[in-house]
Amino acid sequence: MTETAIAHPAGDGRPVSPGAGAPPGTPPALELAGVHKAFDGKPALIDAGFTLRRGEVHALVGENGAGKSTLMNVATGVYAADAGRELVDGELVRIRGPVDAAAAGLGMVHQHFRLVPRFTVAENVRLALGRRAGSPAAAAALVAAKAEKIGFPVRPDARVADLSVAERQRAEILKVLLLGARVLILDEPTAVLTEQESDALLAFTARLATQGGSVVLITHKLREVAARADRVTVMRQGRTVLDGAPIASVSSAEVARLAVGATVAPVARPRRAPGGPALTVDGLAHRRDDGGVTLDGLTLSLREGEVLGLAGVGGNGQSELVACLAGLAAPRAGSVALAGRDITTASPAARRDLGLRVVPADRFAFGLIRGFSVADNLALAALRRGRYGAPFGVARRRIRRDAEAAIRDHEIHGAAPGRSTGLLSGGNAQKVLLARELDDAVRVLVAHSPTRGLDVRAAQAVQAAIAAAAERGVACLLISEDLEELMALSARIAVINRGRIVGEMPVEDASAAALGALMVGHA
Amino acid sequence: MLDGLVITRRFDTPTWLLALVFLAGIAAGLAMATALLVAIGVPASALFNEVIGEAFMTASGLAQTLTFATPLICVGLSAAVALRLRFWNIGIEGQLWLGALGATAVALGDVGPEATRLPLMLVAAALAGAAWIALPLVLKLRLGVSEVISTLLLGSIAFLFAQHLLFGAWRDPATGFPISLAFDASERLAALGFGRTHLGLPIALAAALLVWFLVDVTRLGFYGRAVGENIEAARAAGVPVIAVTCAFVLLSGALSGLAGGLIVAGTEHRMSLTLGAGYTFSGIVIAFLGRFRPLATVVVAVIIGGVFTASDVFKVFYGISEAVVVLLQGLVLFGVLVAQFFGAYRISRANWGASA
Repeated sequence: MTETAIAHPAGDGRPVSPGAGAPPGTPPALELAGVHKAFDGKPALIDAGFTLRRGEVHALVGENGAGKSTLMNVATGVYAADAGRELVDGELVRIRGPVDAAAAGLGMVHQHFRLVPRFTVAENVRLALGRRAGSPAAAAALVAAKAEKIGFPVRPDARVADLSVAERQRAEILKVLLLGARVLILDEPTAVLTEQESDALLAFTARLATQGGSVVLITHKLREVAARADRVTVMRQGRTVLDGAPIASVSSAEVARLAVGATVAPVARPRRAPGGPALTVDGLAHRRDDGGVTLDGLTLSLREGEVLGLAGVGGNGQSELVACLAGLAAPRAGSVALAGRDITTASPAARRDLGLRVVPADRFAFGLIRGFSVADNLALAALRRGRYGAPFGVARRRIRRDAEAAIRDHEIHGAAPGRSTGLLSGGNAQKVLLARELDDAVRVLVAHSPTRGLDVRAAQAVQAAIAAAAERGVACLLISEDLEELMALSARIAVINRGRIVGEMPVEDASAAALGALMVGHA
Repeated sequence: MLDGLVITRRFDTPTWLLALVFLAGIAAGLAMATALLVAIGVPASALFNEVIGEAFMTASGLAQTLTFATPLICVGLSAAVALRLRFWNIGIEGQLWLGALGATAVALGDVGPEATRLPLMLVAAALAGAAWIALPLVLKLRLGVSEVISTLLLGSIAFLFAQHLLFGAWRDPATGFPISLAFDASERLAALGFGRTHLGLPIALAAALLVWFLVDVTRLGFYGRAVGENIEAARAAGVPVIAVTCAFVLLSGALSGLAGGLIVAGTEHRMSLTLGAGYTFSGIVIAFLGRFRPLATVVVAVIIGGVFTASDVFKVFYGISEAVVVLLQGLVLFGVLVAQFFGAYRISRANWGASA
């Protein structure tokens, strides 16, 4: 079973050239038709369809929330659809879960990998394959042989926790292939990768296709589509709006128009001349509880009205930097000063009083409270300043009025003051958080991946809010893995790698290649 | 047939559905409780008379129910206050023992003038209860020790401490039984003239009002909700997380301690080793059934008090064991918790594979 992981459609192992797909008459590797799926009455998929040929790389494109991942989760049995049908190699199938999916030769690599961090790669494979993997030594040999065969460097005895994100992804792909996947579905595979790592991955998918495998690339990055896919399917608001067009037959502008439904104007970079020093970080050092170094003498400074972009591959200390700046983690060494005042050991409350505001990467980690109403989330920080009355009461009516104003001013769709914040879409939840953090007293904004997971329009609104804040004189530290976003908004871009700043340049001198080299460099 | 069913998470559960699910859960729990009682020999025809009739409809039964309810209100509030912060106080009994010991110490030691003796006993009870939960609180805040283990084990230590005193210094010298001397008249809460009910009932109701004010009206209550829902988000938003946690948890301990004080000063009039058993479980059941709302807790406590009264009747007339009382409470809680699933998820029929 495992040895036939990548099937050769012609039976003789003869490579099939990409784009050509399988010989005519071969049934599609995967076909979904008339798929409906609603979550609590809200439709996520409406008559969605998708057809994947043998031996092709097929891009599935759309904005966040368009239904791409949902459709593939239906295909692999993670979600049960309300209606529709699914055919694998022309056979009607009913996939109820991961076991059925593996048996049908469908393998999906999710954005959050399904690996046990404390296990080695080989142990993870044994866990997935069960008895078929054989002894520990046999499993390790299996991994090594497969890695060799597909030209994919993966060490079987490496602990997953010690691997980089790219290496974990390779381990996950390998595991899925060993499980017998002939159709490989990759959900936003390049979101966590650098430019160079993305190129390597996409080259691998092309190779896999020439060997007869079929690959679905779920993505919202159009550039990747143009470069690497054979065909493209576009989804918008739960519907398939372009069904499997050859990539050469559509322009990327056409794909973008189909995906978004309208064009969105790019946000202009703030042009304000920077003022005095706002945030100074000097030699900041931090370690995880297990002793791993996360920040290693990080130094940066930020002036009023300036957007400083901080580029870097995720997991190089960005989260720890944000936690240290927010006052939620204690640095081992170094100092943080806000407008000349040392706040290295100040409480989060004291930092807020000085005008520091933080938008974390995970909105619901230490930004918003999921179970709180929109109004309560908006009011939470201002209660201390006495805006809503004395400690023995809470001015509910005023909270409500303020919330109504914020919802109107920030165009938070689907929100009402009393509505639970967890029910909002990612973009609108982010607007709630920004509405609270960009209040009248904000002086420094630290925003970590503020547009991650947002669709084009919501991302544009968030970027516009940051740019407008900078124009008002707010100093913004924009931490992001999205180089386009960084280059669009920042005046300067610094690169964080292994907990230190490894380079900094004015945006005029910055290029994706230069930044990418610093991001993955081992200097 | 079952695999044609699809389970989906509800985003928004309407209030009427929550209420329906809650009532259906109670009904299912009561049905299971009825089946249990019938199975162990209580005639079904007697059930209504014993539970509703005896516990609520007769004057003596209702008085007994309210007497049972008095400490139950306090332990229910104690559990509810702690659980609002997601702090699992499994040591309610321990704090209750300490509260009873504190009140007894003041009474036996004749501390202060007679006029202030009773208030002092109750204050001592509350403080002793708060002190007993302070240790798990500090361990959690400083070292991240799970309060589930520390409060639970400190409960056993509290009981051993009570044993130590009652088999030692406080043993009744006349009989040699492990009970303290009876309190003087000035150390007993005045009877209300309705069965064995005493001044503790209005005190417990006042405590419920005070807790309601603190957790539902004040800024502290707002902060408490934030800390319970997402402690990191609360901290980042400038909420004084440590102070809020201390306030809620110490209040929880004080309420359990007060329950112990009300039992010794109101009904037992002496310290004994049987007065505290089972209150942790009852407190948590009451808090869950009352959905952590202070005023609902009062209502549920009275209902559970009725179950206690009815159980006494069962014990006398049908030889039902003490454990059945715990089982009855557990079944009702079980019913409500399982029913919550139907509030959180929608179940529908699938139409997959049909030709489109």
